[in-house]
Amino acid sequence: MDYKAAFALAIPLAVGLAGFGSAVGLGRAVSSALEAIGRQPEAMGKIRMNMFLGCALIEAITFIVIGFAFILLKRI
Amino acid sequence: MSQENVNDFESPNIISLLVQYLSGMQGKSFFERFENVIFSLMAMGILGVFIYLASRKISLIPGRWQSSVELLVEGINHMFGELLGTHGKKFIPLAGTLFIYILCMNLLGLIPLMKSSTSNLSTTAALAICAFGCFLYTAIKEEGISGFLYHLAGKPKGDRWLIVFMWFFIFPIEVITVFIRPITLSLRLQGNISSEDLILSLLAHFGFGGALVLPFMTLLALLAAVIQAFVFSFLTTIYLASIINEEEH
Repeated sequence: MDYKAAFALAIPLAVGLAGFGSAVGLGRAVSSALEAIGRQPEAMGKIRMNMFLGCALIEAITFIVIGFAFILLKRI
Repeated sequence: MSQENVNDFESPNIISLLVQYLSGMQGKSFFERFENVIFSLMAMGILGVFIYLASRKISLIPGRWQSSVELLVEGINHMFGELLGTHGKKFIPLAGTLFIYILCMNLLGLIPLMKSSTSNLSTTAALAICAFGCFLYTAIKEEGISGFLYHLAGKPKGDRWLIVFMWFFIFPIEVITVFIRPITLSLRLQGNISSEDLILSLLAHFGFGGALVLPFMTLLALLAAVIQAFVFSFLTTIYLASIINEEEH
């Protein structure tokens, strides 16, 4: 297997893994936020703000992986 | 060389068209190198004009421009003020400026012939260095250099084995956590905004099929712009608040 085939296998796999990881993480975060809203509906504003903050932190790693995959894509 | 190939998909903006237009003349490399600086100055100019229009006739019953600016300032005061407390009221302008400036720069990239300067690592690294420098300066002024190192080790007091334990285990982890913050701040903002711009220009390359997905992608890009600006300034506030409000425990 030459290095081009290895890159062509590895880079979409990396992007897919990043997507999967962020989907799992975001699903857990949003589900716990919704459960907290269900327990105490008057705290919805604060919970929503903290949920967005957590989601942005989780997405940061996904975007770093995507950028890195783009850089590697040009080195084939 | 590889850095130039990554940007093959970027859509043209005013400065790159200008560079193509004067491709034989002398002053070309200036515009080519300082593209992001010109766009961030443009964001500054737009904000300046907006504030000037809002502050022309300040009256007790506000007009249209003045009430929008008051809404923004009130919201920023409310959101960052309760985190920082009474001791940190002087840091609200820093957080508010970061929020408004980054929001304007992010949104500028969604206008057809312009580019957001936060999609380049240089701009976001400069912003992250400013925020982190403020954090370090406040920490050292608050507690001194040895006091800051003590604070990072978790304030060890008591038996000698406890002091050795905390200095050996907690201190390296805390140092890494603190000093990786500017890296993550800049990379998060740059990765988000450049990915959104890249996907938008890729959809433009796809032709008619891409035009159907374009409204949803633009909505996502708007949401990401606002959220990333908010997250940058909010995280800076949290880092500052963790240093200021340590004595009340």
